Amino acid sequence: MLVTALQAVAASLPPVPGQAGLKLELGRLAHPAATLEGLAVYIGGEKLPGAVELRRLIVSGHVIENLRFDCPRLEVGDAGVGCRGARLTIPGLLDDARVDLGFNPADRSGFILARDPQWGRLEARLHADGKAEVDVQALPLEALGRFVLPLAAYAAGGVLAGKLAYRSEHGEHVITAEGGGDAGRFSTADGLQAGENLQFSFALEARSRDETWHWQAGLDWSSGEAYLHPLYVVAGPSLRARGRLAPRRLFIDQAALVIQGIESFEASAEIDLDTARIGKGSVTVERIDLAQIGPRFIAPLVAPAQAESIRFAGFMDLGVAIDASGLSAFDLSFDQAGFSFADSALAVGPLSGVVPWRSVGETRVALQVDGGRWQELQLGAFGLKAVVDGSRVRAREIAIPILDGRLLFTDLDLVHARAGWSGRGGMVVEPISMKLLTDAVGLPPMSGVLSASMPGLSVRPGEVALEGALVISLFDGYLRITGLQVIEPFGSAPHLYGDIEARNLDLFQLTETFSFGSISGFVDADVRGLELARWAPVRFDAEVRSSPGDFARRISQRAVENIGALGGPGAALAIQRGFLSFFDSFGYREIGLSCKLSGNVCVMGGIAGERGDAGFTIVQGGGVPALNVIGYNRRVDWVELVDRIKRVVESNAAPVIK
Amino acid sequence: MNPFKMLRRAFVALALVIGTVAFAQGNLEINTPAISTLKQSMQQRHVQLAPLYASGAVGLAADGTVALRDASSVPLAQRGQVNALVAAENADRAALYREIARANGHPEWEAEVRKTFAQRWIERAQPGWWVQGAGGWAVRR
Repeated sequence: MLVTALQAVAASLPPVPGQAGLKLELGRLAHPAATLEGLAVYIGGEKLPGAVELRRLIVSGHVIENLRFDCPRLEVGDAGVGCRGARLTIPGLLDDARVDLGFNPADRSGFILARDPQWGRLEARLHADGKAEVDVQALPLEALGRFVLPLAAYAAGGVLAGKLAYRSEHGEHVITAEGGGDAGRFSTADGLQAGENLQFSFALEARSRDETWHWQAGLDWSSGEAYLHPLYVVAGPSLRARGRLAPRRLFIDQAALVIQGIESFEASAEIDLDTARIGKGSVTVERIDLAQIGPRFIAPLVAPAQAESIRFAGFMDLGVAIDASGLSAFDLSFDQAGFSFADSALAVGPLSGVVPWRSVGETRVALQVDGGRWQELQLGAFGLKAVVDGSRVRAREIAIPILDGRLLFTDLDLVHARAGWSGRGGMVVEPISMKLLTDAVGLPPMSGVLSASMPGLSVRPGEVALEGALVISLFDGYLRITGLQVIEPFGSAPHLYGDIEARNLDLFQLTETFSFGSISGFVDADVRGLELARWAPVRFDAEVRSSPGDFARRISQRAVENIGALGGPGAALAIQRGFLSFFDSFGYREIGLSCKLSGNVCVMGGIAGERGDAGFTIVQGGGVPALNVIGYNRRVDWVELVDRIKRVVESNAAPVIK
Repeated sequence: MNPFKMLRRAFVALALVIGTVAFAQGNLEINTPAISTLKQSMQQRHVQLAPLYASGAVGLAADGTVALRDASSVPLAQRGQVNALVAAENADRAALYREIARANGHPEWEAEVRKTFAQRWIERAQPGWWVQGAGGWAVRR
């Protein structure tokens, strides 16, 4: 009809010198899909040359200005309307694209062929039977980014090629697309989302039935690499998916991702297109090889600061369900999984079992841990059963074997919030042989046992406090540790607080154990306000003194020397030198030494009671020969003192008394 | 400039920042085994961070942390490692601020310690490093 009208208009025009025989101007044409402003159509000349000018085209918010289409040979005839050798220019976008086009209104067929050195080649054909095809070759993404804002924001580059086809079949509309990209790249301004040398191919088929499109698609990533903060991924994964597209709703009925290190990865989702939110979805991942997937995908997400040092082993399955309110359920299943930190002393596993969670209702965790390590201590196999209810976890008893004893956590009731874990429970250490323990941690062998009963275990974000006492029977006496509190136990600088009370320690056993010489007798000790940071002392108020009672008190020459050495250059021995060479050991009445550590300085003291001079008595002699050890250096650098103790303990040199 | 000289200057700046920051209410020079270990850990890591500061990939943020502000200059395959490096540095920095406040006997000073350190890190950044101020990121002149 339009062509007929044009023919009629053209035929009625008188020959006009110059170009334009007819000019049609349309101020503004608006449609939901596009708006045209300042449209002018020129038709004139002997061979009906034509031109179209468009001041502004607005498509989906994108504005294209000053579009011009010049047709040197506008052909109108029985075969329809056509134009060959036309030129399309858009300042800044298209310099000089060559276009051929034609349309036959009789059978509604037509074609467009556009070629541009920068934009590649596009050919579109509409067939008489209703089929339509679009073939794109060497379409540069960089140029396309000028039209498509998201592509520009990602500085996308590379070329696309592909075919898009439409046909009607058995009453259905069918759309197919296939193609690929090469030398693809993208990057956000901060480089946190980026890809390089990307090569991929895709395929899509969609059929419409009852206002719903049923589709299936595939994507294969064959080359290149990408960084999707904080994950680095390389080519290899491929995706197959099928689903439906209904008005305002996209259904992904099944999506399968193939990726190295995972046996099966399937997902489904229902997406509200108005809000771009997932209304319902699920992910099922089977047989995740943690050694492969852990360092690449789990560590950077879960513990980026330790990403380089976490080691993974074993396998894991994962199931996730999402509803409109968010995560509604997940199931983790472990098979001989293991986790360890290369730069610290914590390792767990191999472990197997399930960790289910539901947003509503209780679930039961059941894990079998076949071993582990904390510091130098190997942990035995144990089962872990817990009830999970939302963010709350309860466990009646967790018994972790350590050497010949067990560490028991009882009646744990913990809640997880944004700030961290909090809750209560109890802890018991069933007797552990000190001989096995000291062997395990590389200390000189000691006899005795370690046990603890701490009914009041309380947990707050970043803090664990233990009410009760940890008792170590040692050297025929005991150590009792109370007020234990750990701040940030898994942080960069864990702090431990506590008070230690030691009673009736047999000095003979103690000094023999640490190669300190030989002292007979017993001592008591108190360490108040002990604070360890990164397991090194930073503050305490400690005192060692002879236990009350009647017992033999002798001290060897070597022990005397070692105590003197601890006092540093300022220490002095006041002994009756005349008798010295005849005795290997000396009687003493009392031993006393104190150290108040603060600010890296130990302020030392001796037996209670001030001396006349600036010194302090460490060993008060008794009997014949009488021997006193007196310290004069009250302020000692802590690091230096520790070094002295190490040297004394490590030294096997024979003592020399000057 | 000779890269070794640049590295040495960076070390000096780091030592100055760690060692001489004066805190109005407390002693920021205070040393404990934990602080000493954290400083050592940070100084070791600085060898890897210095070129990233110089390239602008990593900048000194206004809150006393370091930030992966422009990863474009880092090869894709290494961006994850740089992110891990930044995360580890920030974990140590947070621990350092906490430790200094605790060593002063005032854990509640942590925010003030962090703020003071943040200012000094930025003031003593090398020319060419990126620092975050009130107006956003800018190159230190």
